[in-house]
Amino acid sequence: MGALSRRSFITASAAIAGAAVSSAIVSGCGNPTALPNSANEVRPGAAGTPSRGGILYFGLSTDPANFDPHVSTGAASDYLRQLAYNSLLQFDSNGEITGDLAEEYGFTDPRTYVVRLRQGVKFHDGSPLTADDVVFSIRRMQDKATAASSAPLLAGIVDVVAGDPRTVEMRLAEPDVALPFALALPPTLIVSKRWIESGANPKTTVMGTGPFRLVERIPGVATTYERFDSYFEPDLPYLNGIVFQPMGDDYARVTALRAATVDMIDYVPATHVDVIQRNPQLQFASDKNFGFGYVGFDLAQKPFDDVRVRKAVAMSIDRDAVLDTAFLGHGVAMNGSLMPQDFAPYATKFAGAMPYDPDQARSLLRQAGVEGLRAPMVTTSSYSVIFRPAQAMLPSLRSSGLDIDLVPQEWLTFRASVTNKEFPVHAWGTAPKFGDPASLADFLGSTGVLAKTFSFSDPEIDRLLSEGKKTADPSLRMEIYADIERRTLDLVPFTYTVRREQGEAFHTYVKGYAHPPKGAWTGTALRRTWLERSQ
Amino acid sequence: MSQYVIRRLGLAAVQLAVVGTIVFFLIRLIPGDPARASLGESATEEQVAAARQAMRLNEPLMGQFFGFWGRLLKGDLGTSLISGRPVMQDLPSRLANSLELVLLALAIAVLIGVLLGRIAATHADRPADHLLVGGSIFGISLPVFVIGTLLLLVFTFWIPILPPRRFVTPWADPLGHLQILILPVITLAGAACAVITRMTRAAMLETLSADYVRTARAKGVAEKMVVRRHALRTALVPVVAVTTVELTTLIGGTVLVETIFGWPGISSLLMNAVGQRDYPVIQAVVLATATVVILVNLIGDMAVRTLDPRTTES
Repeated sequence: MGALSRRSFITASAAIAGAAVSSAIVSGCGNPTALPNSANEVRPGAAGTPSRGGILYFGLSTDPANFDPHVSTGAASDYLRQLAYNSLLQFDSNGEITGDLAEEYGFTDPRTYVVRLRQGVKFHDGSPLTADDVVFSIRRMQDKATAASSAPLLAGIVDVVAGDPRTVEMRLAEPDVALPFALALPPTLIVSKRWIESGANPKTTVMGTGPFRLVERIPGVATTYERFDSYFEPDLPYLNGIVFQPMGDDYARVTALRAATVDMIDYVPATHVDVIQRNPQLQFASDKNFGFGYVGFDLAQKPFDDVRVRKAVAMSIDRDAVLDTAFLGHGVAMNGSLMPQDFAPYATKFAGAMPYDPDQARSLLRQAGVEGLRAPMVTTSSYSVIFRPAQAMLPSLRSSGLDIDLVPQEWLTFRASVTNKEFPVHAWGTAPKFGDPASLADFLGSTGVLAKTFSFSDPEIDRLLSEGKKTADPSLRMEIYADIERRTLDLVPFTYTVRREQGEAFHTYVKGYAHPPKGAWTGTALRRTWLERSQ
Repeated sequence: MSQYVIRRLGLAAVQLAVVGTIVFFLIRLIPGDPARASLGESATEEQVAAARQAMRLNEPLMGQFFGFWGRLLKGDLGTSLISGRPVMQDLPSRLANSLELVLLALAIAVLIGVLLGRIAATHADRPADHLLVGGSIFGISLPVFVIGTLLLLVFTFWIPILPPRRFVTPWADPLGHLQILILPVITLAGAACAVITRMTRAAMLETLSADYVRTARAKGVAEKMVVRRHALRTALVPVVAVTTVELTTLIGGTVLVETIFGWPGISSLLMNAVGQRDYPVIQAVVLATATVVILVNLIGDMAVRTLDPRTTES
């Protein structure tokens, strides 16, 4: 037996602890660089003006996959992009389109859109923004290899040219009144032609014209931004820096906010909205217009090729109960049009068009000869905003005699299942790309990403969507889109359930932030955010 | 001994090759596309196809397999398909963060577990023993996520002496770093401590009734010396073995602890990578974890051989 005294035992334990300390030393080598302490100081502004300085700590629901300015992987990652880059246009605090890099903008004729750039805009490397950068950026987004999120919306631009160093002209194959929405979207950002052509990797580095520039990114730990002193908007930004910390767990994120570990968080879960609203030290900025849940059908699979069956499912969902159970009432039951009133004034006409009516649903199933229909419905357990409503609709579906078997899958597995149409029904949640009925094309147009998952194609809807894009008269446009919504309610390729309340929460000392009720989920308000006091 | 170490290291290389091969093929069997993960939900099928091309996912599988091993043998763990960053840029610090948690938890578990096990054994069938045995059952049966959440609730909200803090390095803020270490380390150490307590107690009860201990007592050796020099020393052999096993369990336990406490370790890196089907990162993390587990087992076996020469003879 070898000698082992108490001393050597304690020494061995200490050695383990020593190894732990060594690990801490190694870990210190790859962890965030702190901004200087002086950056935390907040200097009060003159009466009625924002204070300057300070660092905003932001708990982010998703760690952004990468920085590519043209590939959006969600609203959370868009915050980071929009602080470092600018678009030609942007949505203001009310969701109205306004200029960003563009000083003047508009259609000169139905097929030509002209943008005049602001003067004195500089990239983070000090080089000036020119019309060539805009032309390059739009062409990069149109390039299939980029796989840009806005590419389908910019496909109608057949030519983009620089008239002079400050003027860009976009020529369209056919009129598209929704183009300004596309130009204001978070991933429609302008990059430096010279920078990209120099071989820089825009996935891992950042170099835009935005109010903040990247200091450091440690995936899973933090992304640190500091103030860009030569930003073109006078006085902006007010903050010295922003530190984004990924906090994927909903409870951990809300706890961090309540304990003031972070100043602000995104994506407040419905289960915590009341807690936040009751706390006098916190504020909640949200909308009930974008994020919604739906049940999609594969129209190529029996018996869902029969509209009576699809309608029976739609009428079997007690949307009010789903809203109460899944989101504790924080949202709106969708028993009419897909577009909300704030985007489409016609929405009120459709209120109650898809009621909860189990008797009628049973009758439709009887007519279709599938009484007591049994079917699997796939959903994802990775996101509570999708999974909770899917679970909550089961009791009402069953009370209509539908035996729906919910199959929860991990996110990418679910995506593969839906794309490959492995299930006849799926429960999903998403949001319109922008706050205008033209965004219906994604869901209903025969080339729309989601319409393909329903195996849905309707020549009449395609014709109306095309007409809607070309029609400049606002009331006439709305009539066209109302026709599309009406036809959708007749054909039921998918049925929407509830529109959830979604927003950001922050401490009351965080000022200047607004969550636009329409336009798009956008992070541009963070450019104008300031701190009333040091944390 | 050196021959033994060389043989074990050779075996370790084979084990790593097998693990790497299994992981390479297994993760590609899981449905889901990294190209889609990198593009977000609005990507069209054409865009996903273009991204797959750019990520070289359309190349023959065996070509990808040999490419992976070829790069690995040159010390290149590849580049993340999603973030575009070299895996080696993030892996060392994330691994070190996890090891810091695990090793500290293990050190505490060993120190306290052996101490409590000794007390329980020397007070067998008395109230202290019952209390410690009962307490250890509690520690073993409570899942890590329950202990972690309870600790967070108690010490963050009810008795707010450890409010949640942002992750800070020991360099930037040593005291702050220590503060954020406390709860995750206690959470991890709980179950391991309970196991070591029970193992020490059981082993000591056996040694305390052994002939050589009775002989020592008959020779008039003081009871304290009997316990410390004769009973505990022998009892520690199985404790060392179980400690090795506990270390690997602790590494598994970090998945939940890192999530609850927002600790940027290797488990959260792996979780994210699996969710995004980021093959190079998954492969690298699994290989790194397997290396740690294999090395720990080797060190544990060597420690047992040193402590108990009978194992060498057998």
